[in-house]
Amino acid sequence: MQADSKEEPPKQHNSLDFLDTRQCFQLSLCILIGNIGLIFIMPTVVVMDVSLSMTRPVSVEGSEEYQRKHLAAHGLTMLFEHMATNYKLEFTALVVFSSLWELMVPFTRDYNTLQEALSNMDDYDKTCLESALVGVCNIVQQEWGGAIPCQVVLVTDGCLGIGRGSLRHSLATHNQRSESNRFPLPFPFPSKLYIMCMANLEELQSTDSLDCLERLIDLNNGEGQIFTIDGPLCLKNVQSMFGKLIDLAYTPFHAVLKCGHLTADVQVFPRPEPFVVDEEIDPIPKVINTEGDEVGTGITDDNEDENSANQIAGKIPNFCVLLHGSLKVEGMVAIVQLGPEWHGMLYSQADSKKKSNLMMSLFEPGPEPLPWLGKMGQLGPISDAKENPYGEDDNKSPFPLQPKNKRSYAQNVTVWIKPSGLQTDVQKILRNARKLPEKTQTFYKELNRLRKAALAFGFLDLLKGVADMLERECTLLPDTAHPDAAFQLTHAAQQLKLASTGTSEYAGYDHNITPLQTDFSGSSTERM
Amino acid sequence: MKIFSESHKTVFVVDHCPYMAESCRQHVEFDMLVKNRTQGIIPLAPISKSLWTCSVESSMEYCRIMYDIFPFRKLVNFIVSDSGAHVLNSWTQEDQNLQELMAALAAVGPPNPRADPECCSILHGLVAAVETLCKITEYQHEARTLLMENAERVGNRGRIICITNAKSDSHVRMLEDCVQETIHEHNKLAANSDHLMQIQKCELVLIHTYPVGEDSLVSDRSKKELSPVLTSEVHSVRAGRHLATKLNILVQQHFDLASTTITNIPMKPTFSVFDQEEQHANTSANYDVELLHHKDAHVDFLKSGDTHLGGSSREGSFKETITLKWCTPRTNNIELHYCTGAYRISPVDVNSRPSSCLTNFLLNGRSVLLEQPRKSGSKVISHMLSSHGGEIFLHVLSSSRSILEDPPSISEGCGGRVTDYRITVVPLASVIVKESLTEEDVLNCQKTIYNLVDMERKNDPLPISTVGTRGKGPKRDEQYRIMWNELETLVRAHINNSEKHQRVLECLMACRSKPPEEEERKKRGRKREDKEDKSEKAVKDYEQEKTWQDLERLKSILERGKEELAEAEIIKDSPDSPEPPNKKPLVEMDETPPVEKSKGPVSLLTLWSNRINTANSRKHQEFAGRLNSVNNRAELYQHLKEENGMETTENGKASRQ
Repeated sequence: MQADSKEEPPKQHNSLDFLDTRQCFQLSLCILIGNIGLIFIMPTVVVMDVSLSMTRPVSVEGSEEYQRKHLAAHGLTMLFEHMATNYKLEFTALVVFSSLWELMVPFTRDYNTLQEALSNMDDYDKTCLESALVGVCNIVQQEWGGAIPCQVVLVTDGCLGIGRGSLRHSLATHNQRSESNRFPLPFPFPSKLYIMCMANLEELQSTDSLDCLERLIDLNNGEGQIFTIDGPLCLKNVQSMFGKLIDLAYTPFHAVLKCGHLTADVQVFPRPEPFVVDEEIDPIPKVINTEGDEVGTGITDDNEDENSANQIAGKIPNFCVLLHGSLKVEGMVAIVQLGPEWHGMLYSQADSKKKSNLMMSLFEPGPEPLPWLGKMGQLGPISDAKENPYGEDDNKSPFPLQPKNKRSYAQNVTVWIKPSGLQTDVQKILRNARKLPEKTQTFYKELNRLRKAALAFGFLDLLKGVADMLERECTLLPDTAHPDAAFQLTHAAQQLKLASTGTSEYAGYDHNITPLQTDFSGSSTERM
Repeated sequence: MKIFSESHKTVFVVDHCPYMAESCRQHVEFDMLVKNRTQGIIPLAPISKSLWTCSVESSMEYCRIMYDIFPFRKLVNFIVSDSGAHVLNSWTQEDQNLQELMAALAAVGPPNPRADPECCSILHGLVAAVETLCKITEYQHEARTLLMENAERVGNRGRIICITNAKSDSHVRMLEDCVQETIHEHNKLAANSDHLMQIQKCELVLIHTYPVGEDSLVSDRSKKELSPVLTSEVHSVRAGRHLATKLNILVQQHFDLASTTITNIPMKPTFSVFDQEEQHANTSANYDVELLHHKDAHVDFLKSGDTHLGGSSREGSFKETITLKWCTPRTNNIELHYCTGAYRISPVDVNSRPSSCLTNFLLNGRSVLLEQPRKSGSKVISHMLSSHGGEIFLHVLSSSRSILEDPPSISEGCGGRVTDYRITVVPLASVIVKESLTEEDVLNCQKTIYNLVDMERKNDPLPISTVGTRGKGPKRDEQYRIMWNELETLVRAHINNSEKHQRVLECLMACRSKPPEEEERKKRGRKREDKEDKSEKAVKDYEQEKTWQDLERLKSILERGKEELAEAEIIKDSPDSPEPPNKKPLVEMDETPPVEKSKGPVSLLTLWSNRINTANSRKHQEFAGRLNSVNNRAELYQHLKEENGMETTENGKASRQ
């Protein structure tokens, strides 16, 4: 969150005189702009099996002979083309593996490079899935750390290797792992594992391959899916298999951003995943409302239509641009509602001085995602408030809301777990005691603080100890000392001693020791 | 995540029997002699805390950390046990703060060492703990109400932390059996009650504490399942700071906390020390402060196994802390765009000087960036400390490769080339958004539109802000085109509000829809205007042409049955019309005050007056002159000009107003 920017979007933006937002600030939808906006990225790692078994021929009547790896390359080409069109901003890496693994193409947005690499793959020995998955862990963590969600597309033929390093062996030894050779699943980052089998279901079921692959998904906490070829192995059926993957994992997320009467079709990258707040009381994942999907698809078409369409689109005013410009100029964020009790914020994100874009961050679903703004449902246009909460001269703000109870670090709590904590508090009393009567108020304030804590902790010996100490201080007073000092010290010591007996009369928690009224304290004239 | 996990409800059961009054045998020097002053004086003898004091302050510390980091939905019920159980607070949120608990503990006071030990037992407290776990919390109640028929999804779990001095392992078994049995009984009771909930899961944490220097009579035991409902663990801990350390570790385990140590905090120049006198001479040193927070704030470290960051805490406890280096705060907040989460913190040593300096610094509105020490020497900012509304949050900043790398510019996409979105059209813009319009409002809108037509005709520049535009911005023609488009969008957006809104749109459309030939002519006209040094004739020609066409269009509107009103749109204060005899309007408009727009919701009075006025206006025909007036001034003998086709239409000119 931006700490410095004002975070009260329902406040009117002055720049929008013409489109008076005060009257129409009820955002009801989600954003990111059509083909302009990204902004969250979900990198993909393609993990391609290049073991010998991938060179097994596929019988296709009449035409030239294909191997399984050709089918795989065909499917991946289709995926890359789709991404080059719809997910230009996604990063994709290509890893090949057999008994060893190799990063063929590091994370890139250059789909030509990926495509080229596909056609330059050699054939190697046997399948060794575990080491390849370890490789994926390393690559992703090095590049993105542990917080960025990644999609892993594993392309294999369902022959899972033999002996050591085979998937069967890996799974059989899964329970005997130590921390140092932990199985790579679940991936140490948010992930989806998609397994694309260059084989059909019957073939996989004839051995235990399918079971093993399903175990893999289970080990990834169920995050992922297995795809198999429907019917005979041929280009067409491979295409339809990859088509299913695209539908599942790579369909653009379209939505409509609404602000009163203003709307804009937007596309969000990556697709926000459904979110489970509490698997027990509300197991149904929350999804973002997307009004008007049908409008959205038009954007993708424009996209493919090369420059001319883009140029036209560039000249048509778009609410997102207006919003972005306003937020940028004002240094503000806008709150956007994504669903019932689910909000996010929109703001201008710039990577340099030249390029900036509209960015959406999602908050955790709930009525109060940012405690210092209070309940989101209670935010509204200024005009709905009885009086302007910002004051007529914009000289005050209802935010941030203060919590009912202060946190411990903001309320001067007493903790004596370490001797130094106790010593500090005693020293404070002593220092003030030596400056009586000037420091009478502080002296009693500190004294009462110590008294309260000692009573709560049942630490009555401390009260007695401090009383002794004050009595000693009294005897040490120099001749020049103000006569009031001796009176106050004696009084305070006496009161502490009474409290240390624990009798309810003197040991009340809410009772405070008050300064002794003496003839010397000039201010207090009304005395008996 | 489960809201109603074991950590939703924590019951503390603290032994208040006579033996708890025993000393923990760990001395505290409280009479620290100050230099130069106390020669020849023997300091007072050190004192020591009782087992009770150690237990209470350690559990308060547990609660302090828990409340700091989870101010809501994590609840504590505090019970002390002697000859009976004393329940010090309830599950309600109001009871959940340190002050309440401290006051209640003070009322209980320390155990009485002279009480009859036979009458006292921790069992009373344990039974009460089970009972209280069956009681529904506000949050459980709310969730059940919300879920209606799925109310059974709301779980009821809890944890009992029992601090006692047990006699032996078999004594501990007896306590466990008692809890087990009590749960069984109370679950039976709860099954038949609307106000109680059965306990699904209970975690019993038994802490046996004994004076330092004694041998423990009870052995440690890790968590063990005693029944599907009950698990139990036993910790045998020496009193004093050992007990406090144990509870600090437990609070971290129970609430998934992790520790971060901020190192290299410079305290001399940037901090004002809260108590001057306490300031030591040697303030240039760098200090460390350890903070606790939810472990998710370490997500990047935990998953990438960056073990070199970890070191053991200074206190030598077993827990790990991650060390991050203080960075001088910067004003540039670009880093914050990569913020992926914010977590509440609690200082481990809350009232130590370095801790309170750091927290005060943050509470005063400053922020601190935290740097990850890396072997390579590269500087990576991974976190930020900042407060919002009196609460300090540890913000996680993504420190790996940015996913925002090389984003496209918004100017490359839809609407990106449109250079100006800001055109001021007052008062139409402020009036049109009202739910109902008065006749006056409609007139005002129409005037605005004519004014714009006039400006366009004169090729006046639009009052456009040039902020945010690059280069020269669009040509004036283009500006006007944009302006008309936006105006139309705005007005269209409101036409469903009322028939009067519709009229504004009609007026606008009438002025806008110029056939292409006319546009051409208009351009030529403009050129001529320039060339011929604003030849009067050309202007007149052009104006007449234009007016004529407007008239033609408006006639069709007339035919649609809105005669008077449509006329109002064309009858203008012409320069040719004679001066009215009286400067004052003949008819005083009986206007309703325009709705106060900027000041909150429409008042009931206004709503009512609007309603009455609308109803009245249906009952009689409005005086045509008033309807057609411009600035409350109606033009006479209009029909003559119309018949002659000589009229020139123009908006009320400034010179005539």
